Amino acid sequence: MTDDDKFFERLRTDARTLRHQPDERTLARIRASIHDRLAPKPTVVELLAAWFRPLAMTAVAIAIAAGIGVITLDRNDVTFGDEAIEVTVEGETFRVAD
Amino acid sequence: MADDDPLEARAIARVQAGDAAAYDYLVGKHLPRVVSIAYGVVRNAHDAEDLAQEAFVKAFQSLGRFRAGEPFGPWIYRIVTNSALDVLKHRTKFRHEELAGSEPAARRDDAELPAMSNDIARRIDAALEELPDMQRIVARLHLVEELEHAEIAAMTGLAEGTVRSHLSHARRKLQETLADLYD
Repeated sequence: MTDDDKFFERLRTDARTLRHQPDERTLARIRASIHDRLAPKPTVVELLAAWFRPLAMTAVAIAIAAGIGVITLDRNDVTFGDEAIEVTVEGETFRVAD
Repeated sequence: MADDDPLEARAIARVQAGDAAAYDYLVGKHLPRVVSIAYGVVRNAHDAEDLAQEAFVKAFQSLGRFRAGEPFGPWIYRIVTNSALDVLKHRTKFRHEELAGSEPAARRDDAELPAMSNDIARRIDAALEELPDMQRIVARLHLVEELEHAEIAAMTGLAEGTVRSHLSHARRKLQETLADLYD
């Protein structure tokens, strides 16, 4: 090995420390960006579905609440029919049925 | 540079079969080196990170054409080196335009120099930066990234003889600049 070669070998050994080493956080950030960019993009149909899904869920919730309300009201109507009205006049109680 | 990593070969096959998640293995394995190679060319940490990201996205998109059994490393290194050289060309053109009317733009961002273990490394870094672009890039790939002539030729698109010639010129200049370091 010539002096030139020895110089270059020593230079190569020292130059190794110049290698750029990003920290773990930076590497994780780049990995996440790559991952995001490679994730399959949603189709138009999927985008619309994602947009309409909450609206549809809200509409269903409103419909269910309205349905339950109507049933409760109906039940109350039936109960009204079963109750007799009592009227008391001078100690005498009179029952008035439907 | 060739390495027989069965996990790598399996990951490539899985990605080619449509399993994008398998690409994480290739990214995890090669990302630090890819960033370092890009940094060696563009000398700016932010640009190097962007270039690394772009290189992995490009490689993923053309992985269908990748030949089974080939190591992934040299391929991704070539992609990132080409992109980094394009950035450098663009910068050089911009610098020439800028020079017509004002001060020259700084070639590197000193605040982003990698942490260097000692003064010798600093001296070597400064000496490398004084070299003309292609000599600097070839010298960095050979000295810092420890790549061989044929690998550098494949990555930069230069003929192997041209790589040797750049390296020989760089070597002479470095020997002059750093003579006192290795007496």
